[in-house]
Amino acid sequence: MSAPAIAAHGLEKRFGWAVALAGVDLVVPPGAALAVLGPNGAGKSTLLRLLAGLARPSAGSVEIDGLRAQGREARAKVGLIGHETFLYPALTARENLVFAGRLHDVPDPGPRADRLLAEAGLSGVADRPVGGFSRGMAQRVAIARGLVHDPPVVLLDEPFTGLDRRSASRLSERLGALRSERRTFLLATHDLASALRLVDSAIVLARGRIAHRSEPGALDLESLDAALAAADAP
Amino acid sequence: MNAFLAVLWKDLLCEWRSRDRLVAMLVFSALVVVVFHFALPGGAGAQTRANAPGLLWVATVFAALLGLGRAFAIELENDALAGLALAPVERGWIFLGKWAANVVILALVQGVPSLVFAIVFEVDLLPVLWPFAGISLLGSVGLCAIGTLAAAVAVRTRFRELLLPLLVLPLLWPVLSGAVRGTAELLEAGSLSFEPVQLLLVTDATYLILSFLTFEYVLDE
Repeated sequence: MSAPAIAAHGLEKRFGWAVALAGVDLVVPPGAALAVLGPNGAGKSTLLRLLAGLARPSAGSVEIDGLRAQGREARAKVGLIGHETFLYPALTARENLVFAGRLHDVPDPGPRADRLLAEAGLSGVADRPVGGFSRGMAQRVAIARGLVHDPPVVLLDEPFTGLDRRSASRLSERLGALRSERRTFLLATHDLASALRLVDSAIVLARGRIAHRSEPGALDLESLDAALAAADAP
Repeated sequence: MNAFLAVLWKDLLCEWRSRDRLVAMLVFSALVVVVFHFALPGGAGAQTRANAPGLLWVATVFAALLGLGRAFAIELENDALAGLALAPVERGWIFLGKWAANVVILALVQGVPSLVFAIVFEVDLLPVLWPFAGISLLGSVGLCAIGTLAAAVAVRTRFRELLLPLLVLPLLWPVLSGAVRGTAELLEAGSLSFEPVQLLLVTDATYLILSFLTFEYVLDE
């Protein structure tokens, strides 16, 4: 039996006295798509950064495909796409992707960058510095950057933040296309409607704990809505 | 190794496109030398010339601190630092890429204050140009090694502009000691003993190895 794509056990993260995560247990099988819902400050971004190996847990463990998340082998399997784009404004879209490809040891990153930019509908602006891009265009480049090494696990942290309706709709289409590629998806958002179009299960985080779980294939909008409202309550 | 070359290429390309760090460092270091010239009584007298190697290195350190602060500031925009930390490589190679870019930029900058220094303090650098360049490079290697690590530590703090010199300056004494002694020997005797070179080589190697090994933890959030 293959290892879960993502496994977190007793995951805790503290910043001084502040507790961001207080004992999260999570198992995501390969190919599944999970939404991590919750209000601001619930611990969604912290959870994703721990899964991506960007931070070390204060207690508990995180594994990606059976590998310790902080290790190099696990980082190679993860693509993180955040509300920040990780892009250098002075570099062109193509240069940003080639740079990310080189960091991830992608053989021949130039053609890979060109293909990803074509899929994102950005071939025409590939040689323009991303500093002049709109938020929607920059987010599409950021998605291409997150996929440059073809990761089996994709972590999305509030990817719709700051996008207008048209850009959000295009992004949703793009994520839907990626979803069909059988990658493991984890989408952190406070936007229930956007999330439900893309995932098959969900959890609601409240004050660093899992307050509600919807099992695969049984997404219950009402109970999710109620759990989100309870998580949002003071 | 790929990550080292990628980060070096990226940093130099970003700097070439903006040139903000290079221009600021050039102007600042030249101005510091000129200010020293006017601030010291006796202008280009013998006493001033005796202190000149120290003054030149003070100007270099000030310029380096200015540039090192910016070296990681470009990683804050769009949280690019997280993008670097996500790379599935030994993070020490990322450090070496940033360090090498800083050394290249500082080496380019050092020419200008040295020229201004030679003019205002009436020092003939031409007969000792190559050993002078060698000592400058050795000094820059150590300065950038500890400076790049400190800049990475300071960049996520609220007081990064204040913290960077506080972290770097106390650790610079062996680099400054070797570099100032080497420069003084060259200007006074026209030759260089092995002692300051040895001090610089040992310090540079120590700082580079320590920084390479600890950068893994510096990039963690």
